[in-house]
Amino acid sequence: MENLGTLAVILAFALSVYSVLASLIGKWKNREFLVVSGERAVLAIWGLLTIASGYLVYALQTDDFRLAYVAGHSNRTMPALYKFTAWWGGQEGSLLLWSWILSSYAAIVVWQNRRKFRAMMPYVTATLMVVQAFFLLLISFPLSPFEVLAVGREVTSVADGRGLNPLLQYWTMAIHPPTLYLGYVGFVVPFAFAMGSLITRAPGDSWIHTTRRWTLVTWMFQSSGILLGAGWAYAVLGWGGYWGWDPVENASLLPWITATAFLHSVMMQEKKGMMKIWNIVLVSSTFFLCILGTALTRSGIVQSVHAFAQSPISRYFTTFLALGIALVVYLILDRLDYLKSESHLESVLSRESSFLFNNLILLASCFSILWGTLFPVISEAVTGEKISVDAPFFNRVNIPIGLFLLLLTGIGPLIAWRRSSLESLKKAFLWPSLGGLATVAVLIAFGVRHLYALMSFGLCAFVLWTIVIEFYKGATAIAAKTGQNLLAAMVELTHRNTRRYGGYLVHVGIVIMFIGFTGAAFNKDATREVAMNDTFEIGRYTLRVRDLQEGENDHYRWWHAPIEVLVGGAQIDTLQPEQRLYKGADRQASSVVSIRRRLHEDLYLNFAGMTNDGKRAVIQAYVFPLVSWIWVGFFVLLFGTLVCLVPSKIKYQFARTQIVGQVAAPARENAVGKNVG
Amino acid sequence: MLVRIRLPLLATLLGVLSLAQVSSELITDEIRRVGARLACLCGSCKNSVGDCAMLACHYSKPAREKIRDMQARGMTDDAIVAEFVKTEGKRALVVPPGEGFSGLAWWMPPAVVGMGLAFIYWWIRRMRAPRPSPAPELDPAVLARYRDSIEKDLAKLE
Repeated sequence: MENLGTLAVILAFALSVYSVLASLIGKWKNREFLVVSGERAVLAIWGLLTIASGYLVYALQTDDFRLAYVAGHSNRTMPALYKFTAWWGGQEGSLLLWSWILSSYAAIVVWQNRRKFRAMMPYVTATLMVVQAFFLLLISFPLSPFEVLAVGREVTSVADGRGLNPLLQYWTMAIHPPTLYLGYVGFVVPFAFAMGSLITRAPGDSWIHTTRRWTLVTWMFQSSGILLGAGWAYAVLGWGGYWGWDPVENASLLPWITATAFLHSVMMQEKKGMMKIWNIVLVSSTFFLCILGTALTRSGIVQSVHAFAQSPISRYFTTFLALGIALVVYLILDRLDYLKSESHLESVLSRESSFLFNNLILLASCFSILWGTLFPVISEAVTGEKISVDAPFFNRVNIPIGLFLLLLTGIGPLIAWRRSSLESLKKAFLWPSLGGLATVAVLIAFGVRHLYALMSFGLCAFVLWTIVIEFYKGATAIAAKTGQNLLAAMVELTHRNTRRYGGYLVHVGIVIMFIGFTGAAFNKDATREVAMNDTFEIGRYTLRVRDLQEGENDHYRWWHAPIEVLVGGAQIDTLQPEQRLYKGADRQASSVVSIRRRLHEDLYLNFAGMTNDGKRAVIQAYVFPLVSWIWVGFFVLLFGTLVCLVPSKIKYQFARTQIVGQVAAPARENAVGKNVG
Repeated sequence: MLVRIRLPLLATLLGVLSLAQVSSELITDEIRRVGARLACLCGSCKNSVGDCAMLACHYSKPAREKIRDMQARGMTDDAIVAEFVKTEGKRALVVPPGEGFSGLAWWMPPAVVGMGLAFIYWWIRRMRAPRPSPAPELDPAVLARYRDSIEKDLAKLE
């Protein structure tokens, strides 16, 4: 039975190679049947990888400890849910998940486009299958999830497995990796379309509409994956950190940033036929950063607590990245004429310019994170000396960048496409600027002196004002025309142009998240060794350890430290931080924190254990102001993204302006335009 | 199953299981101040010795003890940091030093922003719409012909 998985994976690998060849030869020799055959191979690969994945899940659920992977990542006492999540708990299984998700996406692409983009589809299929073949190569040979335990030539097994790391046995961790992979892997599709259009010099921009939607969907998954990871770290690791600038965390952020830049700059291509080279570069960078991120997690190139065990696969990734980047650079240089802009920039004071600055700042942020992540490796290679680039570096570099980006989030919507006059800008900026300044003044009056916090809150107010004004202006116009109330008019407004107003909602989500991030400037913490009924204080809270309890279930033993929470002498809550000792072969220990979540602040308690003399409990207490706004902001962001995906009620045609004749000086404002939308 | 147990029994049990080997006395403002300049080299976090939250961290805990001892001997913050660098090398610092090759870590991000701004300036200059050329002089004879034609058309309309 264990051979079934191996066979399915190897067959899938062979079929992916066949699909590449059939697609390319079919296109070059004009043999449609070969192209179709290549596409059907994609569907067959999905079937084979579904069988392989299904078999691995079955082996995990039935404790088939003859498989090294099952023995290494599961055990008999684990609940069925976590046995299922062990599919992606280890290196080999997670690569199988990567491959399965890619095969699913590829099958959807092939099915959706069976009558569209026929000229470029062979290249799209070939690109998807080259990536598929690369990952299947890894799990077919060096990292097979179906390797059996053997003594000599005889298959053997162990009595019980090691089990999944207790820290990973948490609900967000159950869905964080697949969600993140849905993002990572999804970025392969826009890349494949970009390559298809580049190779075939596809006329028009219809491919970019398809690519944009794919990017938006995968961006949503990537955002969700990152935030689920942050939520997991916050609730599980024991000190309330939701982002630690770990290389693996950074690796997930990098493609998200370039994809965000693409989602903005693609509008320039759609509306003006500009920045075509830049968009190809962004789509390709996003894809290669996904591959780099996958490599960083698995190769041991950089040190990370999140990384899988080191394996000798870095050379595979290095070769793949080098060849891929070389090919893309060649294609871009060879097709510069195809990527020529179709129109000109009419004014520096325009939405187009604000997108340029938006892209610059996003890319600067991406570079600084990549640079900081890889600098220890570069430094060691050049000077032979190890150095540390830790969280303070990333914070110092990225906080100013983040604040500037926040400013641009507010400025962008206020500037018109094509050109804005200084007069109109003054008018547009007046109220948002006053709103931002008033917020800062109020905060200073209440004693806030933290510079970055003041800047951040002020900018958040500024951006929110701009968005509220945009909604208000549009909605009042509709309300005046249709007689609807303001709320209904806002819904109507959003439905008429979901992309624009959904985008504003995403910006609101980002602003709300910034409010949550800024709260970190006011964090408080205290670590105390307390005997029963002793009290200690943190912020406005008084904490009293009431007693200690113990218990057990099939999976682990636990110890609770119920802690009474008092404010002004009155008890308002009881929190129960916990220690666990899992019963698996490794008998791993883990803390389960207890959090009192409120919108204004979280009270976060960790029962770290007992003092060495065994007389006092060690309690780590934290107060995290505004942290809940990060999660609220995420849901707003998610809602905004979903709104963007809803088709608009009104189909807008984008006017592309061209200079078609001269303009006499007195009539310059009436420039001749030509709608080629 | 939930049972209430006596503290000594629980303490013994937890001690046997090595669930905690901690000392909160090491988390003072003075130790944090120096610790904030030193990297936690445990390999599990990207924090400084000052804010590493793992109480029993195999690197930060002895590092804090060392800082406490050196402070007790009257050493300055700089001298303590230098002592760590002497033992561990530059990796003991939480951020790369600003000089030598390590300085590149700090200089490159602003340099990239600068290059980006230069690129945008170049791109805007290149992409700006060309200024309209001055209107060519029209031949008065051609102009007169068009005027005649317009006059005739208008006359027909009347």
